[in-house]
Amino acid sequence: MKKRGKGIACIFYGTGYGNGFPDVSRAYAELQPDGKVAIYTGATEVGQGAKTALSQIPAEVLGLSVDDIIFINEDTSITPDAGTAAATRQTYNTGNAIKMAAEELRNELIKIAVKELELNSDIGLKMKDGKIFLEIYPDKCITFSQIAAMQEEPLRKFAVFTAQTVQIDPETGQGAPYWPYTFSACAVEVEVDTETGKVEVIRGAHAQDVGRAVNPTLIEGQMDGGFAMAMGYVIYEDLGLENGKIWNNKLSSYIIPTSMDMPEIQNIIVEDPENTAPYGAKGIGEPVMISVGPAILNAIYDAVGVRMTEIPVTPAKLLKAIREKEQKEA
Amino acid sequence: MELKKVIKAEKLDEVLNLLAENRERAKVIAGGTDFVIQLREKKIAPEVIIDISDVDELNFIRKSGEFIEIGAATKFTTIKNSGIISDAFKGLKDAAGHVGSPQIRNLGTVGGNICNGSPAADTVPALLALGAVAVVKSKNNTREVPLEEFYLDRGKVKLEPDEILYAVKFLNSKPGQGLGFVKLGLRNALAISSISIAVFVETDNDINCKDVRIGSGALAKFPIREKEVEAFLKGKTLHEDVIEEATEFFGKILEQRLAGRPPVEKDYKPYAIKGVFKEALNKALSVVC
Ligand SMILES: Cc1cc2nc3c(=O)[nH]c(=O)nc-3n(C[C@H](O)[C@H](O)[C@H](O)COP(=O)(O)OP(=O)(O)OC[C@H]3O[C@@H](n4cnc5c(N)ncnc54)[C@H](O)[C@@H]3O)c2cc1C
Repeated sequence: MKKRGKGIACIFYGTGYGNGFPDVSRAYAELQPDGKVAIYTGATEVGQGAKTALSQIPAEVLGLSVDDIIFINEDTSITPDAGTAAATRQTYNTGNAIKMAAEELRNELIKIAVKELELNSDIGLKMKDGKIFLEIYPDKCITFSQIAAMQEEPLRKFAVFTAQTVQIDPETGQGAPYWPYTFSACAVEVEVDTETGKVEVIRGAHAQDVGRAVNPTLIEGQMDGGFAMAMGYVIYEDLGLENGKIWNNKLSSYIIPTSMDMPEIQNIIVEDPENTAPYGAKGIGEPVMISVGPAILNAIYDAVGVRMTEIPVTPAKLLKAIREKEQKEA
Repeated sequence: MELKKVIKAEKLDEVLNLLAENRERAKVIAGGTDFVIQLREKKIAPEVIIDISDVDELNFIRKSGEFIEIGAATKFTTIKNSGIISDAFKGLKDAAGHVGSPQIRNLGTVGGNICNGSPAADTVPALLALGAVAVVKSKNNTREVPLEEFYLDRGKVKLEPDEILYAVKFLNSKPGQGLGFVKLGLRNALAISSISIAVFVETDNDINCKDVRIGSGALAKFPIREKEVEAFLKGKTLHEDVIEEATEFFGKILEQRLAGRPPVEKDYKPYAIKGVFKEALNKALSVVC
């Protein structure tokens, strides 16, 4: 018989290395001869979209399009250390460092513009599409490339951002080990085949607090991916560990969900800007996965009344649990 | 043996001549979806590889008298979409449609599925339930073997070194007949069958079971007919309680058969079979026309 059940779960997640550990990102912003701006930072793109989001931030600061940001990030000989692409920290931490470097560059450009345009002050100066101009008299204008041409050495600004966390008291466990926190919630409906133990997730809704959605499409991608990864973790991925030997040591037996297993998911992006974050944007790398698992387990419980306490909930394990419950009740 | 030659054959004669000439030194490749993996893992090491995937004479689905014949190099996608296979035997199309993924179905062939000898080959239970016959050819001979007698062991079929599987054939559907297929895998695509079951039934208007054949996959060393369960059902009226009893009986048989197997099999399949078998039988009954 096929039985349906619903489950929800919610979580909060602390971003970054945390617990007082120095969590440091560094970046350069450098004006190029053609008026584009290069960002140098040691943040790794692992498919999460760091290059895109971390290009959007300086583009916003400098009034440029993303195409005018040259993002250089995977050559350690020319980029400053920005820590790992881990702990959901790159958008927040490195985003902050890049934003600060871009702001320094912006201030420098404004200073040069005031001087070159022979203005009284920087009041009313606008920066857009590689130009700096007076809003009330746009003929007073200088381009980024004109400024670049005046420089003997490239105009380059550096910034460091260190996240603020406090080590917890080892005895009481009190303190402020992480900052910022993100929040997410998930609801799923499952269908359990009580005769084979197979669990099908038939739909899901997934809400994620992102602070500010720098790139909503990338966020949705991360949320879809987090959902799939959690499904794999909770109902598919079985190492088959037996006395230290891994039986499922290839991808034909260690299985992850395919697109045929993924349900329709409603992603809900919640924006609650964080004041220490770049434009309010918090990291959402890992938290998108966390609430999905317990929601599925709760839905299984709702469907068949068995509380599974070990993952993955393979059909074999679930069928056994269902049969044991039936035998007990009989 | 070191690989010396790969020959892309165009004609059946050419294939049979090459096999007669090279015998054990040669091996045929069709879609290669099993073959290439075995080659890379060095489980096979032929000197000559004969590619039959583009031999038109092996690629067909046709009516021939009372029979439907399927050429050995016919791809799963072709079977899945065939208009020649009747709705009553939709179970065979379902089985082909459950193989791997679109990529695998566009390459893999029914002949490869049979000759590879995997216990989890998805089209084989359906063909067994249809009572299919394997048509085998060599340079100077053609012979027919019931598919259920074609298997020797896991990964081994009754073919001489100079023979190929030419086609499989089965009697076309008649009123009152239906075929249902169900695959239980760990996910919805690219899943190796944990259990697959095909049920052929022939009933009269009062759902009296005049004939039944059950093919199973992943429940023995190779796909087999489940004759005890067939005997149990034959002649009975297929009411829910009878089906339930047959299902319990099937489970008991598997408890014995799989007693020595690892826990993932012996603690699961005798119970999971029930849902799978019932669904396959009900599917068969639902397509009877
Ligand atoms: C990712 C993946 C997923 C898969 N999923 C499934 C699945 O869900 N279900 C399933 O059943 N299988 C699955 N398979 C296995 C494989 O696709 C099938 O067994 C397929 O039918 C093999 O056919 P082929 O044409 O590719 O055979 P090949 O690999 O070319 O040949 C297989 C064997 O059969 C022999 N052979 C082929 N044709 C003949 C012939 N006419 N006469 C004599 N011998 C012959 C070859 O010499 C070889 O030993 C999967 C494989 C992969 C790689």
